[in-house]
Amino acid sequence: MTNAPDRPAVFCPIVPPHLLESLARHEDPEIHLPARYTLELDASHRTRRRLGAPGAAESAVAEAAGDRPDRTIYDAGHQQTLPGTEARAEGARPSKDQPVNHAYDGLGATFELYLKAYRRHSIDGRGLPLNASVHYGQGYNNAFWDGKQMVFGDGDGRIFQDFTGSIDVIGHELTHGVTQYSAKLEYFGQSGALNESVSDVFGSIIKQHALGQTVDQADWLIGADVLAPGIHGTALRSMKAPGTAYDDPALGKDPQPATMDGYVTTSQDNGGVHINSGIPNHAFYLVATALGGHSWERAGRIWYDTLTGGQLASDADFAAFARATAAAAHTRYGDGEEHQAVLKAWSQVGVAVSAAVPRQTAPEGAPFPAQG
Amino acid sequence: MRIVVTRTGGFAGITRRAELDTTGRPDAARLRSLALAALSDAWPDRPAGVPDGFSYELDVDGVTAYCADPELSPSQQELVSKVLGEGA
Repeated sequence: MTNAPDRPAVFCPIVPPHLLESLARHEDPEIHLPARYTLELDASHRTRRRLGAPGAAESAVAEAAGDRPDRTIYDAGHQQTLPGTEARAEGARPSKDQPVNHAYDGLGATFELYLKAYRRHSIDGRGLPLNASVHYGQGYNNAFWDGKQMVFGDGDGRIFQDFTGSIDVIGHELTHGVTQYSAKLEYFGQSGALNESVSDVFGSIIKQHALGQTVDQADWLIGADVLAPGIHGTALRSMKAPGTAYDDPALGKDPQPATMDGYVTTSQDNGGVHINSGIPNHAFYLVATALGGHSWERAGRIWYDTLTGGQLASDADFAAFARATAAAAHTRYGDGEEHQAVLKAWSQVGVAVSAAVPRQTAPEGAPFPAQG
Repeated sequence: MRIVVTRTGGFAGITRRAELDTTGRPDAARLRSLALAALSDAWPDRPAGVPDGFSYELDVDGVTAYCADPELSPSQQELVSKVLGEGA
């Protein structure tokens, strides 16, 4: 149990309750805080009484209070008026309505990733309560972040099904909130595609973190669980192989490019924000797989530093973002394999970073390794 | 009356376009008044909307106006749902 202190057992259903309870009494906060958090998620009040730990332990729980999400799930009742009626509050027992529980768990997994990996307290970094409405509209084929809360449709059952069913979709939408509170990337053209890509990157990371996957185990798909049965496709987007996620008479073919050679100029979709996001998506995939291990560790940290570091302009284009990731890698890890992996990845997707890195020395005179 | 609805954006980023001609339909009068109501609630330019929100272009006999989720009026919701035929 102690081999992964940075990834506590919160979303690890194989840990039996009795083991969690003994971990919760452990003197090391690295061990007891995550265990207590997990127990509180499961049955907050009852668990705390049962532990019956006064004094130091009680104050440790109080200290960790800011480390807990504050979720409320609403039922929009198939109307398009927000938020609807309350269906499950923080700490309440599961609903009989599965989308309510999926939304609750997905919000929790997102909160968990940002807190455990980056010490970010909720979407705004200041403990923002997380609200979501499910059953929005009639057969509504979408999910979105409206600036204040999450909104989920049920899907029409023909092309899409329940949007709460994909944890990476939930992470994607909430990350739009993180971007709103940090880099504020404008939702148009290349900065818009970067806004979309950052949401796909952390949506995928959140899923991998919740499942405890390494980069080799991850599917690198976005929305794999929201496609209705019978649709020819594996997901809505693939970070590993952009452009290959679906090819279906009703949906058309996945239009995403993986490199700048395939960059699409269009006036639709805010200038193709969901299309050209394939390019920075693939760059992240290349960095994460080059570094190996868990995507939320070094690769995710570099992207998180870039997003929240205050150096990225809200109208940043791909080249500016690439430079910022290279600078972030250099700042945190020096001129090591992380920095080199970032430079190589952007080069592979056709985004130039050469002017980018202020302290790059390039002693061999060839700043970028050859393709591959 | 010819009504065209084009929906862009959304989580999937997939564009959908559908049109409906009221000529000869038993509900033509109802559709005409619905389309005009939806148009009068819409914007002359595309509103900013929200990330992953649907954005709509309404074209009623060549007059074009725009609206975006989650700020559709009841007439816009009904019209978009009717024309796209899959729920807004």
